[in-house]
Amino acid sequence: MTDYVKYASLVEGADFLNPAVSFEVTKEVVDKYISSTNDSTPELQVQDEKGDRVAPPMLAAVYVIDALRVRVGPPGGIHAKQKFKFHRPAKIGETLLTTAKVSTLYVKKERNYVEMTTETRNQNGELITTGLITRIWGKE
Amino acid sequence: MSDATELQTFNGVSVGDQLPEILQAVDQNMIDAYADASGDVNPLHIDPEFAKTTFFGRTIAHGLLTLAFVSRVLSTWNWQGWAYGGELEVAFMGPVYPGDEVRVCGEIDLIEQRDDGVYARCKLVCYCGEKAVVKGTVICKIN
Repeated sequence: MTDYVKYASLVEGADFLNPAVSFEVTKEVVDKYISSTNDSTPELQVQDEKGDRVAPPMLAAVYVIDALRVRVGPPGGIHAKQKFKFHRPAKIGETLLTTAKVSTLYVKKERNYVEMTTETRNQNGELITTGLITRIWGKE
Repeated sequence: MSDATELQTFNGVSVGDQLPEILQAVDQNMIDAYADASGDVNPLHIDPEFAKTTFFGRTIAHGLLTLAFVSRVLSTWNWQGWAYGGELEVAFMGPVYPGDEVRVCGEIDLIEQRDDGVYARCKLVCYCGEKAVVKGTVICKIN
């Protein structure tokens, strides 16, 4: 049985994911994402002068959420709000490393809310995406 | 947004401009494909029998699939500003069900000159019919 993260164990300012969780940006991952979201943006199909091809900015929804699945709350949690800043698109072939910290904990209408900041860098430390996710924690 | 000068128009972009709208039909095949692509295989999205036992009564699309449609709109309108420094802030207001059609609407409500360039802020709403399912704002550089 999965060990769910208990709300009472969360502390504002503490790491939620550390060490970072890695994600390989493969051609297969990017092409599947583009196909499933019906995205025909021309810039996603071209290679630059170095032969690099970029992923959709919103692939962040895949690699950040994938990282957060390493530690999950009880079933029934809801993704309430999302902020992203896209510093630059990830490229096929990069390895992304995502960390997360608990920023704010609060109760509203008898429901437990968790705000977490996330930061994703590539294997060379270049900043790709930062974010803030607000989750309503599942009932324990 | 301090130390910034508000503008009504810049380089052909004006406050009140509408972003190019998209309509995207969502069906279970699309939800299944997104689950496969994203690795998010929560049964609420892909298992109709399980979903019947939940508050929603049937499967719902991933909220982040709707954000992918938002990203398509922004990429079409201003790829450079969106992909290189774009900021998104949204709240999920309600579910998208298989069979729904998502309409992504955006309107520029602020243009401002900052120290490092000119930025536009867009109000965003995603609708299923008359119901708003995602609301928020996006900020992109436009020069």
